[in-house]
Amino acid sequence: MNCHDVQENLPLLTYGDLSAGEQAACDEHLAGCENCRTARERLERLQQVLEQRPLVEVDPALLAEARMSLDEALDRQQHGWRALWQNGLPILRFQPASGFALALTLVICGFGLGWGLRPHAGRLIDGVAGANTADVANPDLENMRISGISRIAPDPKTGGVKITMDAERRVTLEGSLDDPRIQQVLVYAVKSYDNPGIRRDTLDALRDHADNPAIRQALIYAMRHDANAGVRLEVLGALSSMQASDDVRGALLDALEHDDNAGVRVAAVDALIDHAEKEGCDAPTALALQHLASTDSNPYVRMKCTNAMMRFGK
Amino acid sequence: MEIAGKASAQPSPTSDLNELLLIRQAQEGDRSAFDTLVRLYDQNVLRLTLQVVGSPEEALDLYQEAFLKVYRSIRHFRREAKFSTWLYRVVMNVCLDHLRRQKTRKEVAAPQPENGETEFLQTVPDDRPGLDPERATHSKEIGRRIQLALGRLNPRERMVFELKHYQGLKLRAIGEICKTSEQTVKNCLFRATQKLRVELGDLA
Repeated sequence: MNCHDVQENLPLLTYGDLSAGEQAACDEHLAGCENCRTARERLERLQQVLEQRPLVEVDPALLAEARMSLDEALDRQQHGWRALWQNGLPILRFQPASGFALALTLVICGFGLGWGLRPHAGRLIDGVAGANTADVANPDLENMRISGISRIAPDPKTGGVKITMDAERRVTLEGSLDDPRIQQVLVYAVKSYDNPGIRRDTLDALRDHADNPAIRQALIYAMRHDANAGVRLEVLGALSSMQASDDVRGALLDALEHDDNAGVRVAAVDALIDHAEKEGCDAPTALALQHLASTDSNPYVRMKCTNAMMRFGK
Repeated sequence: MEIAGKASAQPSPTSDLNELLLIRQAQEGDRSAFDTLVRLYDQNVLRLTLQVVGSPEEALDLYQEAFLKVYRSIRHFRREAKFSTWLYRVVMNVCLDHLRRQKTRKEVAAPQPENGETEFLQTVPDDRPGLDPERATHSKEIGRRIQLALGRLNPRERMVFELKHYQGLKLRAIGEICKTSEQTVKNCLFRATQKLRVELGDLA
């Protein structure tokens, strides 16, 4: 190796990223060349300077914000025109010939169908219109294949709720929140539905009915398992307004100790403080606050826990 | 491939087999599998984008743009490279585009903070014990100079240098990410080092 080769390899030499052979050749040259030794020393000093650049630590709140925005953007992707283009019409994108054939077939079928149905058109349209607009007052949920929920809205007049679902056909289920069938759909929506927006609407509808054991269990389930931090925050809002039963307190403590989103943990501390103010601070809560006051990764959570302990004289 | 050699690694390391399963499920449109994949790498991706662009708002934009690109194209991922390499290639291209746009907007060398505005990296607290105020100010000044010097590299040199020096990736891994030969990466790294030496020579 000559001086040029060695100096070109110096950065990799200092990073330890040379092969054994290259390393040996460099070392051999450096042992006898003062110029290259000086160049290496200069480079090592430069790397020491570069090490002084502060290492960026990712703030948990920033990471949570990034995740939530990405979640929302992915939702928009999944249900937008792009999704239809990507999932629904791949044949048109990638195989122009097949796409043309498909389009031609559709046109021919359309004409054929129109011609064939021409004498009965009035009857057909009547029938379709009737089927599409009719609400189903008492749908048979046991035997209905539900493919999605498109809207959940509380009805302020009746105090009930209106659920619009896609099944064999779109149906609207309307009734009181005490109706077990309504509860069944809402609990399904909270626990299993993949659209976080619908899950949040559902929580809005359930918020004031958490005294019902099935609904309370669904909320606690969502608190522990929902992937979307925004939804978990909504659940926390609902749980914090409830009486502090053991299961509710357990879910709040779980959120405080294990949730990876700092915003959710802060809301959990607030909810626990609310409960403790009304009913006293129990031992598990005090223990968790004490533990997290010194160990939580987020300084704001630590401060909240410390303040809470001082407030309750722990 | 080791993703973040110097920065702290992402928690929850998943076995290759699990990752393969997640990739296959995500390719079939399973959103929760995709979310799990995102969570395996997103902390390091956010750290890298923060390191490159400096401002949290821009870093969030790049983070989102990168993962949306991954989501749209994951069905075309053929497992010829490791998923992490492929992912970092996407992230690097997003960062490169951003740096090029920035370069076009501000042809005059490195991004300078506006009057009175503090650059993000200067707000990162330096918690090292024993730093007196004078030393802390000096350290902040060095941080600012390094950031300026890095800003004067061309986008490709900047990314290669970030991946090598601050992320601790091997030359081969960087070559795979950049879809180029090790020799090209080596030349790029050499040029970046030369430029930094000129910029920061008085500090070294």
